[in-house]
Amino acid sequence: MIEFDHVTRTYGAKTAVTDLSLAIPRGELFALLGPNGAGKTTSIKMLVGLLHPSRGSIRICGHDVVSEPRAAHLHVGYVPDEPCLYDKLTGREFLWFIADMFGIPRHLARSRIDREIECFELGEFADDLSESYSLGMKQRLVFAASLLHDPSVLVLDEPMVGLDPRSVRIVKDLLAARTREGMTVFMSTHTLAMAEEMADRVGIMVRGRLRFLGTVMELREQVALEATSLEQLYLQLTSPHGLRP
Amino acid sequence: MSGRTVPGEAARLLPLEAEARLFLRLRATLVWETVRAMVAGSRLRLSLVAVLSGLFWAALYGLFVEAFSFLEALHADVISLLFNAFFSSLTVMLVFSAGILLYGGMYRSPESRLLLTLPVRAETIFAHKFREAMWFAGWGFVLLGSPMLVAYGMARGAAWPFFLMLLPLMIAFVTIPAALGGICCIALVAWLPRLRLHAFSIAVGVACVTGIWLGWTLLTQPRADAMSAAWFEHTFAHLAFTEQKLLPSWWLASGIIEAARTGRDGRPSAAALGEAFKFLSLLVANSLVLQLLAGWLARVAYRRGYSNLMGEVPARRRRSTGLIDRVLIGSDAAVGRPLRLLIVKDLRLFRRDISQWAQFLIFFGLLGLYFFNLRSFNYHNTYASMIGFLNLAVVGLILSTFTTRFVYPMISLEGRRFWILGLLPVHRDQIVWSKFLFSFIGGLLPCAGLVILSDSMLGLPGRLILLHAYCCLLLCLGLSGIAVGLGARMPELRESSPSKISSGFGGTLCLVLSSLFIMVVVIVAALPTHLFLLARTLGPAVVAPDGLLAWAGGTMGAAASVAAVSVVGLAATAVPLLVGLRAFRRLET
Repeated sequence: MIEFDHVTRTYGAKTAVTDLSLAIPRGELFALLGPNGAGKTTSIKMLVGLLHPSRGSIRICGHDVVSEPRAAHLHVGYVPDEPCLYDKLTGREFLWFIADMFGIPRHLARSRIDREIECFELGEFADDLSESYSLGMKQRLVFAASLLHDPSVLVLDEPMVGLDPRSVRIVKDLLAARTREGMTVFMSTHTLAMAEEMADRVGIMVRGRLRFLGTVMELREQVALEATSLEQLYLQLTSPHGLRP
Repeated sequence: MSGRTVPGEAARLLPLEAEARLFLRLRATLVWETVRAMVAGSRLRLSLVAVLSGLFWAALYGLFVEAFSFLEALHADVISLLFNAFFSSLTVMLVFSAGILLYGGMYRSPESRLLLTLPVRAETIFAHKFREAMWFAGWGFVLLGSPMLVAYGMARGAAWPFFLMLLPLMIAFVTIPAALGGICCIALVAWLPRLRLHAFSIAVGVACVTGIWLGWTLLTQPRADAMSAAWFEHTFAHLAFTEQKLLPSWWLASGIIEAARTGRDGRPSAAALGEAFKFLSLLVANSLVLQLLAGWLARVAYRRGYSNLMGEVPARRRRSTGLIDRVLIGSDAAVGRPLRLLIVKDLRLFRRDISQWAQFLIFFGLLGLYFFNLRSFNYHNTYASMIGFLNLAVVGLILSTFTTRFVYPMISLEGRRFWILGLLPVHRDQIVWSKFLFSFIGGLLPCAGLVILSDSMLGLPGRLILLHAYCCLLLCLGLSGIAVGLGARMPELRESSPSKISSGFGGTLCLVLSSLFIMVVVIVAALPTHLFLLARTLGPAVVAPDGLLAWAGGTMGAAASVAAVSVVGLAATAVPLLVGLRAFRRLET
């Protein structure tokens, strides 16, 4: 579903992502971890086509995100770290705009919009202008919008920021259900507990390089320490002094 | 609820027309909601804007009717030259403004970040943003240009086809520089991302130097020469380069002149109308070609340019301490220290916000240029005095827009930082006083300089310069008092956008009160002086035979007007400030 093929991205003289190769199959929930400035957001921006790789290529459902951006975007739902909405549109109008953009037939769009409004409990404020929404409400609306077209790939950049515990639970349940149905999730997060609880595989990036790729269990075996929680393993792996077995 | 389908199966790529329709619908909804919110929430502001725009339009129309009648009678062929000069300079300005607006809209807005992750064509996003930029860049032309062109038609006695053709001519013309601005913007960002600022600065520099050189050579002539035949010939020679047949400005000017032409019987001339249609077609054809070119360029280079910009590493900016900062915070004296520190903080924020000082510089710079060129014309003493007072009013009005836009929101903007200020050992009064002093001193220096420059160029006597400087001092005090006082009385602590704060009810009230205050001060100060000078020029018997007018035009009247102006000025300063201080002390955050 998602293929990073020797992807490198530079910012001037600085290399943000170095030779990233990664394949994420259908139905997998992949969590990308790493300290600030490790290259997680750069990887996500390249995945959704906002940034072009300096070298290498990225494919979503077989479509190159640089040369076939529209075909690739058709399969992607994206929840950015900072939700962007139109202040002067209501939540429902925003959902209609996104549904129309994805060319969803009107009758189907109506039922999908109702489905997402119900799922994310947006009903109470769906017809208010989004300028009056709190950060959590905006984030829930963006989640709803990203799922309207039942994407094959869902890309999440720090998805839980601003969500209350109930909304976090809703999102977690929803991601679990959708991945079971075949949706692939690519998520960047600092919330280690969530990665540990939900991810099929985790990737740990440090200074632009993928230092680890595998399951949490494999990470434990590789680090072979007394450390048992993902937090301790993560701190060991991302320590500025390198791995200390 | 619908059953779940295979991921992505219901989604499909839209044809170009469907994408365009979607964006048109989006724009229509956004405009409708914005207008509805304005009608519901800012009726005062909306009414004011409508009334003032109407008055502005009518005043411009009257002025242009007079100007065209005068030019038609004295120098008939000057109109074509003036149109060409006006439209060609407008072309340059529209290229820049559309380019800048498109840069902000396409590359720096959160909306473009959203749209670029959707399955939509790059050229459709460009078209969406292009319409927005064209509207923002072109509405000024419509507001300024329509009274001029309607007045031209009326002065020439043009028939109805002229008025029907005006709008299509104007729209087709505006589209050409806007598309050029778009092409330059996309090309610069895609292929010269690192040099875009240099390229833009060089282009702006060349345009400014050319404009200033032209202005200088046209206006810095001997005073006795102004408006004479020699003056017109000199002016013609300098502006002749704008009459190039390959320029869209020439097509527009020629189209307008031909459309206004009538036969001897006063009916529209078929030949002239044919010519006008030819120029309209030329404008429309070029506009469409340039839009196609810009759309193609967007398809090829928009996403690449966006990625280039996103890939830029923001430079870390180290800031040094300014001289004024050192003077204000350097002293160890405890007296007024919190006040001084607060002023230094505001000064630093002002200095580091380019949008604030750039606007300040542009408006006061243009005003300075105009005042500097006042020497070029001959004035009768009475009119020189009147122009001096009008200039004082203009300086005050510009200052009032700054106090409303930047000073009024200052207290509200502290709302998000109130937890810092609230924990400091600073009395709330000092926060208000620091804003007042910052506004007063910051306004007084450029305003007093401009007023004195204007009076010197007009050759006014020392007493009048002193009076104008005193009025300027009162205006700065009063305008600062109104803006800071109302800002403290009606703070919007949850709002982070200064433009939204200043465009609300409080901001509008601040602008209205400021304008009224300026009018009262200038009229009360100007009337006795004007009557006094008229009486001295024409004789007291002609102006005010007896009674109140004679008294008002005399020494006692002048003294009374100064006293009245002082009272009004001090009241405008003290009353809002006291109200604001009291409200701010009681404010619960």
